[in-house]
Amino acid sequence: MKTAHEIRPGNVIMLDGSPWVVQKTETTRSGRNAAIVKMKLKNLLQDSSTETTFKGEDKMEDIILDRLDCTYSYFADPMYVFMDAEYNQYDVEADNLGDAAAYIVDGMEEQCQVTFYEGKAISVELPTTVVREVTYTEPSARGDTSGKVMKPATIAGGATLSVADFVKTGDMIEIDTRTHEFKKRA
Amino acid sequence: MHNHTHTPHWDIFCAVVDNYGDIGVTWRLAKQLAKEYGLAVNLWVDDLASFGHILPALDPKCPTQTFEGVCIKHWDLPLSQDYQPGEVLIEAFACELPPEVLCKITKAHQAGDKVPVWLNLEYLSAEDWVEGCHGLPSLQRSGLKKQFYFPGFTDKTGGLICESDLLATRQRWQESEQRLNYFTQLGLSGIAADDTVISLFSYETASLEALCQHWSQGKQQVHLLVPIGRSLNSLATFIDPQQDLAPGQRFCHGKLAIHLLPMTDQQGYDRLLWSCDVNIVRGEDSFLRAQWAAKPFIWHIYPQEEDYHLIKLEAFMALYCHNLAPEVADAWKALNIGFNQGSQEALLPLWQQVITAHAALTQHAQKWPDEAINDADLATRLVQFVKNS
Repeated sequence: MKTAHEIRPGNVIMLDGSPWVVQKTETTRSGRNAAIVKMKLKNLLQDSSTETTFKGEDKMEDIILDRLDCTYSYFADPMYVFMDAEYNQYDVEADNLGDAAAYIVDGMEEQCQVTFYEGKAISVELPTTVVREVTYTEPSARGDTSGKVMKPATIAGGATLSVADFVKTGDMIEIDTRTHEFKKRA
Repeated sequence: MHNHTHTPHWDIFCAVVDNYGDIGVTWRLAKQLAKEYGLAVNLWVDDLASFGHILPALDPKCPTQTFEGVCIKHWDLPLSQDYQPGEVLIEAFACELPPEVLCKITKAHQAGDKVPVWLNLEYLSAEDWVEGCHGLPSLQRSGLKKQFYFPGFTDKTGGLICESDLLATRQRWQESEQRLNYFTQLGLSGIAADDTVISLFSYETASLEALCQHWSQGKQQVHLLVPIGRSLNSLATFIDPQQDLAPGQRFCHGKLAIHLLPMTDQQGYDRLLWSCDVNIVRGEDSFLRAQWAAKPFIWHIYPQEEDYHLIKLEAFMALYCHNLAPEVADAWKALNIGFNQGSQEALLPLWQQVITAHAALTQHAQKWPDEAINDADLATRLVQFVKNS
């Protein structure tokens, strides 16, 4: 069992008797420090999607499905193609990658985990941390070096996130793929 | 479909966390649903002694009692009173429902019986994400469906608790100049018509000491009205924390008089807010009531880890100030941020700016309630939400 707070895009959870692949998670804070997790889920039996909300501490059954370590190979619209160590290729629908798609870039070397349900590749889980190049961010406005002042940045692959004010265009940065938060300069 | 014993009542479960906040909100909601919509409402409360502070007639030892059309039930562990599923089941502020209740609705669901509309009534926030989460289902392993109900300031949220006659009643009260009489009724003495009167219901903050020093040394007579509670922890310089304190006591320091307030019921607290020149409020319930009071206020928001509360504060202030003159808005926002950060000396010029702009802020505060409520208050939207579920 995992808490909603621990669930990541790519996980498959059992709800109401059906397996659901988690396509997107968004954690916010309610009153008194309580976390609220909004998820986009896809029902693997009915091929339908829904948005749902959980308390951060809600427990849910994380289904252990077959998984394989793979690396990203190429994109063949609308499929992302991943390859295992034996050069077998697996197609994953772009929809099923959810937020993870933002971190998929050509030439990436990080090991991803492809999840299978009834023999079909259904989702991809990224490593907890990835390193990506900042392709654009405004120059530091305040000269802040504390890391507390944040500004927007675009990274390779096109995603945007908040980074510390001292980060420059061209810097490599570490990103937490669960929270989409900047961790540090790599 | 099986036959069932489903009855049309509503159940609201409230776990008391900080004495007056959670119970304050749920009690107001329960009263309004009973009075304005004729609903049979059971309000289950785990701490009747705390509830008694805002409902003095409540007997903390009585497991079931009815006030203002609401059946108040003691939520003990294990649950000693029978829970019968009704039309609606509300867990207030993400409290964990008793296992007996969950078991009963799960069995009803499994048997094919009708189950209540199950809602998690969340905390109030002005942040953008609230619109995207309001009303979303929360799928449960049991197959039951819970929905998140978010209060809020826009028409895409669950609205704000405001009784249908509240704003008109408040306006009549303020026009009839009853405030000095009311202060006397509360046992407060020495308050003149031209004095500045400030109500204080906050958490601890170093800002209070600085403000009190400032008020004590000023030219204008200031009366600070404080209930016995957490705010006093920050006023040790002015009130000896070791001494016995009682409502009605007054502590004078130069131009500042600190009065200890008696506890009042919710209507009494509303009147207090309506009667003061500035209200310092905290959390959620008093924060909202201060807005309905149509007076300038400072919001001491519940502190969260990593200063996340400041994000919530900024989100509210952006909404509240969007059509306020920039120089007034900037001063008011900076005062609120400073107060929440425990600023001291830096807060004093901001206070002066806000007091100088008191008339403009009051005018803005008078317009704000209609704007904040939008088309309908929370109870109205909630009843409609249930009908649509």
